[in-house]
Amino acid sequence: MRRLFANKWFIIALVAVFLVAIIILGAIPNSPLDKVLTPLRAVANPIQSGIKGFGTKVDDYWAAITDGVAIRKRNEDLEEEIARLQHEVQQGEEAIIRYEELKDAFHIKDTFSDYDIFGSSVLSREADEWFSVIRIDAGKDDGLELTGKNSYAVVDTQSNLIGRVIETNNNDSKVLPLLHEGFTVNGKVNEVNGAVIIVSGDASLKRQGLCLVTGIDEDVILEPGDEIVTSGDGGLFPQGIPIGTIEDVDYSDPLNIKATLRPYAQIDDLKDVFIMVPYEKEEEVSTEETAETSTANEQG
Amino acid sequence: MNKVELIRKIAIYSVYILFLTCFQVSFPDKLSLNGQIADLMFVFVVLVSYMFGLKDGIIIGLIVGILRDCFAAPAVIGLNGSVVSSVGIGVFLLFAVAVFSASVFTIKIKRKPAFALLTLISVTALYKIFGHGIIFIWTRIFSKTLYHLSAKELFVDSILTQIFLNILAAIPLYLLLRFVGPYKKGQNPMLRAQEGKGADSSWLTI
Repeated sequence: MRRLFANKWFIIALVAVFLVAIIILGAIPNSPLDKVLTPLRAVANPIQSGIKGFGTKVDDYWAAITDGVAIRKRNEDLEEEIARLQHEVQQGEEAIIRYEELKDAFHIKDTFSDYDIFGSSVLSREADEWFSVIRIDAGKDDGLELTGKNSYAVVDTQSNLIGRVIETNNNDSKVLPLLHEGFTVNGKVNEVNGAVIIVSGDASLKRQGLCLVTGIDEDVILEPGDEIVTSGDGGLFPQGIPIGTIEDVDYSDPLNIKATLRPYAQIDDLKDVFIMVPYEKEEEVSTEETAETSTANEQG
Repeated sequence: MNKVELIRKIAIYSVYILFLTCFQVSFPDKLSLNGQIADLMFVFVVLVSYMFGLKDGIIIGLIVGILRDCFAAPAVIGLNGSVVSSVGIGVFLLFAVAVFSASVFTIKIKRKPAFALLTLISVTALYKIFGHGIIFIWTRIFSKTLYHLSAKELFVDSILTQIFLNILAAIPLYLLLRFVGPYKKGQNPMLRAQEGKGADSSWLTI
């Protein structure tokens, strides 16, 4: 018997029979084996649940990672698409703005046919109360050159007066804004035979964005809201450039009637300006250049 | 100071100068209150001079002054009565500002932060008072026009508003120069050594 149990094949066969018996026993309805296995289930079930839960979480986590990668990729694609579309929209808006400006420039050109109109962008503006010259990106290389005491009117895209050019360099020019206390222009009320006045910058009023109006005759009746345009007297500015509207009039001193004017131009929000160069000056310059060239040729 | 420190100093100064100068003349409306503009260039020169000494202040003052004149020169009424764009006023102004700021409230009070603001207030007030005075005299002589400002416009709208704006600008700028400035630890080591020996322009010091 001992020899028999020492035989491995006998043991294997015995186990096989035992297992078959269990299988058969377990197949019987109301098998006692169920009761035998109940305590085992009580221990095993929570462990299995825990492991299953952990496995599920790992699975979910892995799925989340893989899904997240896919979602992120998709999100990146969508963001790129949105950025591209936004860029296209911005370009469209920019094109519309440029179109409007060019349309305005053509309008200015039509209105002031004796002047050549140079478009220019504002490079820099005032640094403080006194360092207040505006710099624009058009200069001698673009055909702007100041000679003697001449100057050029500078207007915005709506052809409202901004100021005048006081210095030209090769690539840029400096503009004296109409709020500066050194700025003066002859104006008139924008109506037939409108009263002639003088508009100038004022140290006190410029903080409020206003200009001073002087030279008002006693018999002239100015009213708030009256539109003032350049009169053309003096020769620097062409006639009819809109300057602004009368804000307030002070008749307290009949010999020194004063008014304040609110300019149309929004100098705080300037981006593009137009410089008005009379054709005569260009012709003079080109005539001088021709003369110089022919003289040089003759000498050569 | 070794080569690396020198390059670092130049690079950081360059970044500050270009950024502050360009920002001020490009977006003055963002720095504006009551017709005045926070003067970043001015404040920068004052703080550099106060914190890092006369030599740095003068060099930075001259460079920023040149840029100020290039970007936004003042228009002045010339000797012939016509308005011209001047060159050199900005350079002179910021040079003077640098000298003053580096020489007052520095050694004896050991360049304390609170006195940086006091220096800024003093220099700003002096600048505005002298500015108004010079323009008043100049316009009277050469343009025969009146430079009429009421006391409120002069002191409240111009001087006090400018001081207020400059102080607002100075606080972040001081912190930047102190912690992300041209010198490690926010102090000029050469200046410190000199001041230890009492050699930094003590004749100028109050």
